[in-house]
Amino acid sequence: MIIPRALYPFALAALSLWFDASLAQDTTEEGRALFESHQCWQCHGYEGQGGGAGVRLTPMLYPFEAFVQLVRHTNLMPAYSPNVLSDENLRLIWEFVRAIPEPPALEDIPELNLE
Amino acid sequence: MKSEDKSNPDTVKKEDAGDGVSRRDFLSSATAAGLAAASLGTSEKALTQEVAQTRVAALAPPSAMQQSMEDDTPAGYSSEEAQEYFVKNPGSDFMVDILKHLGFDYITTNPGSSFRGIHESIVNYGGNQAPELIEANHEEIATAMGHGYYKVTGRPLAMLAHGTVGLQHAAMAVYNAWCDRAPMVILAGNHLDVQDRRPGVEWSHSAQDCIRVVRDYIKWDDNPVSLGHFAESMARAYKIAMTPPMGPVAISLDGHLQEMEVGDQQLMMPAMTPTQPPSGDWAAVREAADWLVEAENPVIVVDLMSHNQEGMERLIALAEALQAPVVNQYGRTNFPNNHHLSQGANVIAQADLILGLELYDTWGTVNSLRDRVHKDELRRARPDARVIDIGTKELFWRSNYQSFQRYYAADLSISGDAQTTLPILTEAVQSAMSRSRRSSNGEREERWRAAHLRAREQAVDAARYAWNASPVSTARLYAELWNVVKDRDWALVSDDNQQSRWARRLWPIDKHYQWIGRSGGAGLGYGAPSALGAALAHRPEGRLAINVQRDGDMMYVPGTFWTAAHHGIPMLTVTHDNQGYHQEFMHLQRMSARRQRGIDGSSWVGNELTNPDIDLAKIVEGMGVWSEGPYTDPKDLGPAIARALDVVDSGEPAFVHVRTQPR
Repeated sequence: MIIPRALYPFALAALSLWFDASLAQDTTEEGRALFESHQCWQCHGYEGQGGGAGVRLTPMLYPFEAFVQLVRHTNLMPAYSPNVLSDENLRLIWEFVRAIPEPPALEDIPELNLE
Repeated sequence: MKSEDKSNPDTVKKEDAGDGVSRRDFLSSATAAGLAAASLGTSEKALTQEVAQTRVAALAPPSAMQQSMEDDTPAGYSSEEAQEYFVKNPGSDFMVDILKHLGFDYITTNPGSSFRGIHESIVNYGGNQAPELIEANHEEIATAMGHGYYKVTGRPLAMLAHGTVGLQHAAMAVYNAWCDRAPMVILAGNHLDVQDRRPGVEWSHSAQDCIRVVRDYIKWDDNPVSLGHFAESMARAYKIAMTPPMGPVAISLDGHLQEMEVGDQQLMMPAMTPTQPPSGDWAAVREAADWLVEAENPVIVVDLMSHNQEGMERLIALAEALQAPVVNQYGRTNFPNNHHLSQGANVIAQADLILGLELYDTWGTVNSLRDRVHKDELRRARPDARVIDIGTKELFWRSNYQSFQRYYAADLSISGDAQTTLPILTEAVQSAMSRSRRSSNGEREERWRAAHLRAREQAVDAARYAWNASPVSTARLYAELWNVVKDRDWALVSDDNQQSRWARRLWPIDKHYQWIGRSGGAGLGYGAPSALGAALAHRPEGRLAINVQRDGDMMYVPGTFWTAAHHGIPMLTVTHDNQGYHQEFMHLQRMSARRQRGIDGSSWVGNELTNPDIDLAKIVEGMGVWSEGPYTDPKDLGPAIARALDVVDSGEPAFVHVRTQPR
């Protein structure tokens, strides 16, 4: 397919968007893989929903720096040092958690109309 | 038809039941069931007495053939020969009389030759009614069924254990019952007399002191050497088991005593009178009331307290009199979770006075221990908070096993059964309240209503996270279950602690029978059989028993589901199959992090229940239980539960296998 010269800027922008989205997806997938292999899901659930053993992670409200502090210097969960989980990998996990979609609204879940 | 033995007014002579009347008529004096809940609440007492009367009325007299076989020498035998071949009146018949006298509904067992005598007597002499024999594939199942049964009915079951090996199998479940203060009467077969033992296995199944294997975690035991001794020990055992703090007891069941000819022995049926549970000292209770009334922020924390619905009513009365929040640690159903004073454990941190009622762990209620290399203590409560501890723990614990928890010196410690003590405490609180204190109740009530509503909204909101996740979220599992069962008379016969406590957070639990607490000793293999014991207790009420079954627990005792099918015990089971020993995953994870070795994938080793995946539905199907699954898509769950419910409504157990999120 030949793209007219006049459309080059739009094509480049589209390509860039696709590349960013693809990169973000790759990042998220890497984060998911780390979330699973480092067993975060054991306490926090596969979708970060939390439960009796760990707090809910979603929606991720902490900036990355605070997240690092919580993982490294914690009273509740095991402290993960950089020797076990690098800052880079921790960021990928944080990105993954941030990307977990919002659950359905309560109004859309009739089963949770418990009265 | 019974007569009092003049030499001992506390006994009833068996042999005096003449005039052609069956010795079963002794059972008309059955009283023990009515004793089960003496002083623990009038409604329960009335209920158990009614059950006892029903039970006696249902007993049939012996048939003409049975009577003839007992009375006559069979044709073709000399009397000497008949004495070698036959027994007219075996000792174990009398033992069954005692079981009936004490009012046992069921006796659970895995069969064994060391109690073949009483086994036969239960079936033929006793007509396999009250007690009816419940067959299990393992003594751990038989024992844990008694644990669950007690928690619903307030009455103990009897459990027959084979000599040595049977009791060893039962030991884990006995320990759970001990830690959880659940009464049961264990009858352990044995052959004391060496000249009476057949060569071989009977020796391996005999012991000098057969109860010793469980003695560290039962309340009392005895080793009767005569039938009279057996009768007296059984009556004593029943009373000890059922007097708070309650717990298991064990009686050795000698093979010779079971099989011997009673002949002309004058056997006595011991009379039974209720033992009143211990109540707190009146002066100390009044002091406790003064403290409670003075406190700005009193908080009630309750664990193993309520024996029955009356216990809940008594706690409601106290909490409402003070408008004080109640933190239920759920050893029992102590307080309705839909009451505005039902609050989360976070309120303990605000308290200036903590009233503990039958706390399993007072230290752990007030403090915590951080799980780090150096385990430092943190006080959870305010430094100036005072603690009143009412309960029976000091009357209960023994050496060796350390389930008594950390020592804690409460500011006021009152020894007494908390449920029994509550009415006088509430009365003292009401007397001590000034008009101004009473008038502050309106503001307190408003505050706690708002907090209760907020917590409720937060719980429902939290349930929507991972709503569509596969495997299924535990919140969705409980929400789907609730939608199917909410219009029924239901009871949850399992603990939801490993499922993030979703039943307690989402379902309204306001009846004592709707919840049976925890295992006590946290020994796996409790869940399935205790649930089945509870379901057995719910059966005559037509109540829907719901068991959320963990995979790890089930693999200890899968035969439980055979017993369910065999005895037609309706129970709806939905699994929480997270395919591993999940708690241990987390421990391995903690150790790996602490040692900076990382957990990258290694936490499955030794903790997984995969490779191969276990088809739990197929296991129970092979034992005659209707089953479906495994399901991982949450959309399949509701319809599957509805189909299972149809099966349960027909009087059978049903099983839906669901693979879930970890917790």
